[in-house]
Amino acid sequence: MRARRRIFGVTPVRLASSLVAATVFAAPAARAVEVSDPLEPVNRVIYGLNELVDVMLLGPVAEAYGELPSPVRTGVRNVLDNLRAPVTFVNDLLQGETDRAGTTFARFFINSTLGLFGLFDLASELGHPQHHEDFGQTLAVWGVAEGPFLMLPLLGPSTLRDTAGLAVDMLAFDPLAHASSIEPSIARGVGEAVDTRHRLDPVIRDVRRNSLDPYATVRSAYVQRRAGEIRNSRPGTADPRYESIFREEEE
Amino acid sequence: MTARTERAGRGALARRRLAGFVVATLAVGLAGGGPARAEPSAPAARFVDGLGQTVLAVLRDGRLDRAARLERLSQLLEEASDLTLVARLVLGRYWREASEAQRRDFVALFRALILKTIAERLDQYGGETYEIVGVQPVDERDTIVSTRIARPGGTPIAVDWRVRAEGGRLLLIDIVAEGVSMVVTQRSEVAEIAGRSGIDGLLREMRRRLDGTA
Repeated sequence: MRARRRIFGVTPVRLASSLVAATVFAAPAARAVEVSDPLEPVNRVIYGLNELVDVMLLGPVAEAYGELPSPVRTGVRNVLDNLRAPVTFVNDLLQGETDRAGTTFARFFINSTLGLFGLFDLASELGHPQHHEDFGQTLAVWGVAEGPFLMLPLLGPSTLRDTAGLAVDMLAFDPLAHASSIEPSIARGVGEAVDTRHRLDPVIRDVRRNSLDPYATVRSAYVQRRAGEIRNSRPGTADPRYESIFREEEE
Repeated sequence: MTARTERAGRGALARRRLAGFVVATLAVGLAGGGPARAEPSAPAARFVDGLGQTVLAVLRDGRLDRAARLERLSQLLEEASDLTLVARLVLGRYWREASEAQRRDFVALFRALILKTIAERLDQYGGETYEIVGVQPVDERDTIVSTRIARPGGTPIAVDWRVRAEGGRLLLIDIVAEGVSMVVTQRSEVAEIAGRSGIDGLLREMRRRLDGTA
C-alpha cells in the first residue's frame, strides 16, 4: 500500500525538475560501477508500475508458460533467438566483428532451413555458438557515452544510449519492422517478454527476497552486465573503477 | 553519486532482473560443484577448484541432513572467505564514517544475511557442474579465476571468482556472475540506503531483512 502511494505521489514539478536535471547532468564518462541517475524519482515510479504489471500479469503468465514441456519452451526460445539473428548480424558488421558476423550468418542460414524455421538450434551443435549484439552495444563500441540510467515502462532498465539503440534496432534493422503487418512484431514481443520473464524467475525471486533496495540492485546489475556484453567478455579489459574498490582498505 | 529520494519504492521489480545472480551468487557458486575438466595449475585455480569439489561433496553426501549440510557450508565459507573484508568493501565510503560499534554490527548483519541466502538456496541444487576456463592475475595480491557453470537444460553462466592472497592464505573476496559483481551490486544497494537514512537506518533495514519482516 505504501508503495502504491509513492507511485502516484510524484508531483509534476518534481517530474519537470528531474527532466531538467537529466539534461544538465547527462554524464559523458563511461561508468561501469556507478551510473548517473538524475531521473531517479521518475525511474522509481516507473519501476513500481512495472512491478505492478509483473505481479498482476507478466509473472502469472510466465508461471503458466513454465508448465509447458521443456522441449516446447526450448523451441520457442530457439525461434525467438533466430528472429534476432539479423539484428545481431548487422551490429556485428557495424562493430567490425567480421568473424562473429560470419557465425551469425551461418547460424541464421542453418537454423532457418535445417532447423525448421529456427525451431531447432542445430548451428550450436555444428560449432557455431550463439551471441547477441544490438545497436546500443554498437554505439558503445563507437565511443558513445551511456548517458543517464532510464527505467522504461514495460521494458525495464536501460540507459539513454541503450534506448536509442533499441529504437534503431526495432525500427531499422529488424526485418519484422518492414513486414506489411504489425502482428508478427507484437507476437514476438509478447513471446520475448514471457520467455525472458520465465527464465529470470529464480533471479527475480532472489532479488525480491534478499535485496536491500531492489531498484538499486537492478540498476547496478544492468549497467554492469551491459558493460560485460560490450566487452564481449574479453579478458584484459578490467574497469579501473572496479579495481579501485579492492584497494580501498589501504587508504 | 545518484540522486537520493525519500520516495524510494522498495519491493518494486521490473522485467529484466539479471541482478539476482549476484545476491544468489554465493549460493549458486557454492552449489555449482562438479568435476573440473581443465587441469588448474595456478594456486588460485586450485583453491577455487578445491572449494568447488568440497561444496559438491557436501551437497551430494546423502548421510547429511539439511541442518548438517548448512552447517558445513557456512564453515566452508568462513574458512574460504574474508567476510569482514568483503563487508568493509561493500560498505564503501560509509565504512570510514561508521563508528566501531556500527562497523561491528554491519559485519555481523552482513554475514548473517549471506548465510540466510545460502540457506534459502540450499534445496535448489539441480546438478550444476563447473569448469575452470581461465586464470588471470590482477596484481600482486589478487587473481581472477574464471569458471563456466553448466546447468542441465539451461545456458551456461560465466562466473569469475576474485581470490586474494593474504597472510599466506587464499581468500575469496568477490564473485562476478555474467559481468555482475556481488561486491559492486551490494555496494550500490548499501550506498542507496545509507545515503537516504544514514548508517543506523541501513542497519535497521538489514535487521528487518534478517527477521523476514521487510
